[in-house]
Amino acid sequence: MLGFGALAFLNPWLLAGLAALPVLWFLLRAIPPGPKREAFPGVRLLLGLKDPEVTPERTPWWLLLLRMAAIAAAIAAFAEPVLNPRQPMTGSEPALIVLDGGWASAPDWADRQVRARELLAQAARARRPVALVVLAEEPPADPVLDLRPAADWQGLLDTLTPRPWAPHRATWAEWLEDAAPSVESWWLSDGLAHDANGVFAQALAARGPATRIGPVELAMALRPARLEGGVLATEALRAAPDLPRDLQIVAIGTDPAGTERRLAVLPAAFADQETEATVALDLPLELRNRVSRIGIASQPSAGAVTLTDSALKRRKVGLLSSAEPQEGADLVSPLHFLRQALEPSAEVIEAPLEDMLKASPDVLVLADIGTFSADTRGALERWVQEGGLLVRFAGPRMARAAGVISDDPLLPVRLRAGGRTVGGALSWGAPRTLRAYPDHSPFVGLPVPDEVTVTRQVMAQPDPELPDRTLAALEDGTSLVTAADLGDGRVVLFHVTANAEWSSLPLSGLFVQMLERLAISARSGALTAEDLAGSVWTPVLALDGFGRPVDVTDLPGVPGERLAEGRPGADAPPGLYRSANRLVAINLTTPQTVLAPAAAPPPGMALEALGVTTETALKQWVLVLALLLLGVDLLATLWLGGRLRLNGVRTRAAGRVAGRVAGSLLALGLALAAGPSWAQQGLAETPQVDEEWALLATSDTVLAYVVTGDAQVDRISAAGLSGLSRMLSARTAIEPGEPMAVNIETDELAFFPMLYWPISEGQRSPSDAAIAKLNAYLRTGGMIVFDTRDANLGAGFGTGTPNGKVLQRIAARLDIPPLEPLPEDHVLTRTFYLLQIFPGRHVGGELWVEAAQDAREVEGLPFRNLNDGVTPVVIGSNDWAAAWALDPSGRPMFPVGRTLGGDRQREMAWRFGINLVMHVMTGNYKSDQVHVPALLERLGQ
Amino acid sequence: MSTSRSPEWLRRDAEKITGSLPPLMAEADRLAHTVVAGVHGRRRAGPGEAFWQYRHAVPGDTAERIDWRQSARSDALYIREMEWESAQSVQIWVDNALSLDYRSETAPRSKSDRAALLALALSVLLVRGGERVGLLGTSLTQPRVGETQLTRLALELCRVQESRPDYGAPPDEPMVRGGRAVFLSDFMGPRDDVFPALIRAAEAGVSGAYVMILDPAEEHFPFDGRMIFESMGKLVDFETQRAKALAEAYRERLFERQQALSDMARRTGWQSLVHRTSESPRKALLWLYAAIGGLR
Repeated sequence: MLGFGALAFLNPWLLAGLAALPVLWFLLRAIPPGPKREAFPGVRLLLGLKDPEVTPERTPWWLLLLRMAAIAAAIAAFAEPVLNPRQPMTGSEPALIVLDGGWASAPDWADRQVRARELLAQAARARRPVALVVLAEEPPADPVLDLRPAADWQGLLDTLTPRPWAPHRATWAEWLEDAAPSVESWWLSDGLAHDANGVFAQALAARGPATRIGPVELAMALRPARLEGGVLATEALRAAPDLPRDLQIVAIGTDPAGTERRLAVLPAAFADQETEATVALDLPLELRNRVSRIGIASQPSAGAVTLTDSALKRRKVGLLSSAEPQEGADLVSPLHFLRQALEPSAEVIEAPLEDMLKASPDVLVLADIGTFSADTRGALERWVQEGGLLVRFAGPRMARAAGVISDDPLLPVRLRAGGRTVGGALSWGAPRTLRAYPDHSPFVGLPVPDEVTVTRQVMAQPDPELPDRTLAALEDGTSLVTAADLGDGRVVLFHVTANAEWSSLPLSGLFVQMLERLAISARSGALTAEDLAGSVWTPVLALDGFGRPVDVTDLPGVPGERLAEGRPGADAPPGLYRSANRLVAINLTTPQTVLAPAAAPPPGMALEALGVTTETALKQWVLVLALLLLGVDLLATLWLGGRLRLNGVRTRAAGRVAGRVAGSLLALGLALAAGPSWAQQGLAETPQVDEEWALLATSDTVLAYVVTGDAQVDRISAAGLSGLSRMLSARTAIEPGEPMAVNIETDELAFFPMLYWPISEGQRSPSDAAIAKLNAYLRTGGMIVFDTRDANLGAGFGTGTPNGKVLQRIAARLDIPPLEPLPEDHVLTRTFYLLQIFPGRHVGGELWVEAAQDAREVEGLPFRNLNDGVTPVVIGSNDWAAAWALDPSGRPMFPVGRTLGGDRQREMAWRFGINLVMHVMTGNYKSDQVHVPALLERLGQ
Repeated sequence: MSTSRSPEWLRRDAEKITGSLPPLMAEADRLAHTVVAGVHGRRRAGPGEAFWQYRHAVPGDTAERIDWRQSARSDALYIREMEWESAQSVQIWVDNALSLDYRSETAPRSKSDRAALLALALSVLLVRGGERVGLLGTSLTQPRVGETQLTRLALELCRVQESRPDYGAPPDEPMVRGGRAVFLSDFMGPRDDVFPALIRAAEAGVSGAYVMILDPAEEHFPFDGRMIFESMGKLVDFETQRAKALAEAYRERLFERQQALSDMARRTGWQSLVHRTSESPRKALLWLYAAIGGLR
């Protein structure tokens, strides 16, 4: 191997071929390119002429240079140049490649894989057996180093990913003592101390020559987040003060639509010489509760991501009691102790029950509420079924109400009326204390204090399900706390009051812990071993080494004791774990975590940095260069010989063509390069345009017409609706904005009360999507006015005229109810004006509307009681838009009728238009008016 | 290189069927019209021109030719046609050699295209004037009158010919004594082939004009470097190490050839013209028309 700085040749002796270049120079010089051939009629006149000067023809110098360069490149290529060559492996011992493979290796994992691949390649070149171990895995049972040819490890290396925990260096150091005889080792270290760093380095150094390959930048970590006065706080950690100062902290969570996105991005910076940087994320409560994890943006590792659990969520708790306390009597207020217990850790709201339900609280606490109105009960039940947690406390009112409702879904158990009193003045026995919690209870692990005594309680009816529903009981077996699931939610009943009247429970610390266990209030402080003990926790979310959430379906449950160790491993990866209602986050870091750089290597261990340079073989590139040069030479030689003509096309023309092609290629390239940004602009703009359009359509009442594609018809529609809008503004309370054109294929229809749809012959049938949209529009109260504009000259609409046929074609696919010719007493005849004819530019065409369902004659009334609501379609043929149309100066655009009769006809057309819009806007209001006499009579007037 | 007229040429069969003029005919017709318009006024004013007939104007007639006085009397447009005193016989030789297919990069047309155009345009002029026209070296040697003859001429000029010579010489065919002749060629052939034929024509009692059609590249010789020149049929070639050095000698020889041609013309009572394909064909046509017409 021969090296020139960063470049080296693996077969340097081939470079001797370069010495032959001068010989080639002379050879090439002697062979000039062939003469140019030209067909030329004047050749006869040339015959016999002598060349005045004869210069020996030589190859042009630049062509010579080109050829020499091509050959030199070929020689250099076969000498196998390598950029940034590594020292070759010289030893003969087996090679041992050690990867830390823990979370701290994740940020530069790709570099590590590349380096390990290089090591494998070098070992393969040196034909040395290789063993590859990953310290994050547990060492194998038998202490034998798994030596294999380097190629065997390649596949394993490709699939290897960093683990979301620290490497087990101490365990491996012990294992190495027994396993390895003498090896040369390369250790791709993450550069952090973790546990027992020195031990492993010494173990390696003792086995033979060793190299530690450290990262350029040490990984950073994030401590678990905590709540400090309503602010999410965490610390970013770095191992050494010389690491980058500026970070970005990202809070990730789900948006209301359920998709995960960045909820907040916050810059953070380390102070000089500090290894900790405190970050405070001040977010609104709604947003903060959605944060599911916090990470450092530039550090894709499990250590730099911290998960949040219920400890960081403040729940919205609604409190309600029946009795309003008198002023100053706080301590007897049923809610006093609840407030005290919840306010530090939850968002407490107090309001009437209906209002609170609208605020969608997580938990509702009802103290001594016995009965509800039917509406409230229904709303409450729905709320619980949708996932709410209803906690009720007993009290005199509940005791009185108990038994009235036999099976109340808002109580977990059936209650006996009256309750009981123990240990009071008029009863036997002493106040009762608690007994140990049943196994299924969420309170398991909490203390059973003696000082909690109960003097009164409401009693549950004996029931086979009662033991299952009891979460805490008194020593005589009667229930103290019961709970039952209702839909997705849960109902919990404390059989005592929320104040200290019936028991001393609210006075004890147990009360707060119970509320916490019931996930009513957020946990305060760290998770303790006893919190976790005794239950199996199912992972709901686990992190991989890169700090990304991974699938948890195949992960087994983890006993609480294992989680309490606070040391994530293969059997308990960092993630979110659930048991009953509780959710805990197991993070890699603890509030005490400090990152330390690895200790200095023992003597005899070399140090190397990762990923500064990579070994790159240049052979193929240099060969390609040589080929390209030869190609250019070929073209140049042809050109010199005048043979570079494409298919008889003269070179100039070819040049023009080439120029044009190059130009269009350039344009294409530019377009491609610019394409994505255009596309993005397009994406960004489209919704905005829609929004503007929607604003325009909704800021006023707007009449709309369907675009037919016939410019003249559309113009008349626009002018007609504009004229009608003007008349409406002048005469009625409806003041519409400028009419809008609606394309039924693309535009949203829901904004418009009424669509005017003139039929023209050239109209295309709407697409299926448009039909579906139109049907939805009709179903949800829209009205379409079809106008065939042909005075219905044929017999019966839909058959006689071309426009009628078009209408039939379109309407056949629409969801149109049975129709009838407008009856005399239809509400459309009197919504504003009293009308019996509905002329447009034509008079006399029939008007069809939805047929009356179940029309009844009512005694003594002029009108039948027709169908409720608005007719979804009005079909006519009088060309109303043309009659309504006004030009910008307010003059009619089209002649209607003859002389004064025409003015009358136009007036009637407008009146019909006004009635139509009134009908859409007010529905059957005028129909109801006909009951007024009857109502007045009933009122005794 | 017989396909240099091919784009138009492909339509030949279709046009034959419909009986319309080939594009060459149309172009020649157009060209002829411009000349007639230019010469017409003078002819009309002169004596000896007698009224011949009125005929209906047809598409293609220029507005100037319409006799408004006559046309005003009825709904149709009329053209007043004059009678020419007597008909001349004009025989045209269009060189069909391969050397005329040459077209350099800057030239708009090949020499043979130009020759065919000039021949047909002249024929149009002459036939319109009632002269008899024939094509030497083809089946139409015998001069005839009439539009049919024009169509036949056009078809003949457009015909693809097999086995053409490298360089051409006027054919040794019987010519109409006392008639006129026009030779359209580049006269690049061997001196011994070309000039005896010219003398033969003069001896046959025919007078007329030579038109030497040259490509601009043939006149300027814009070549340089090591080159092999070939004749169009690749029968003759010539190699040079540095073409530029020969330019002067070449131009001299070309001038000699032109000089020899005009000497020949002077001696035989003919006229000669050097026409370059980069020039307007109208110029050559005017000259030709004057030369042939001047002989009357």
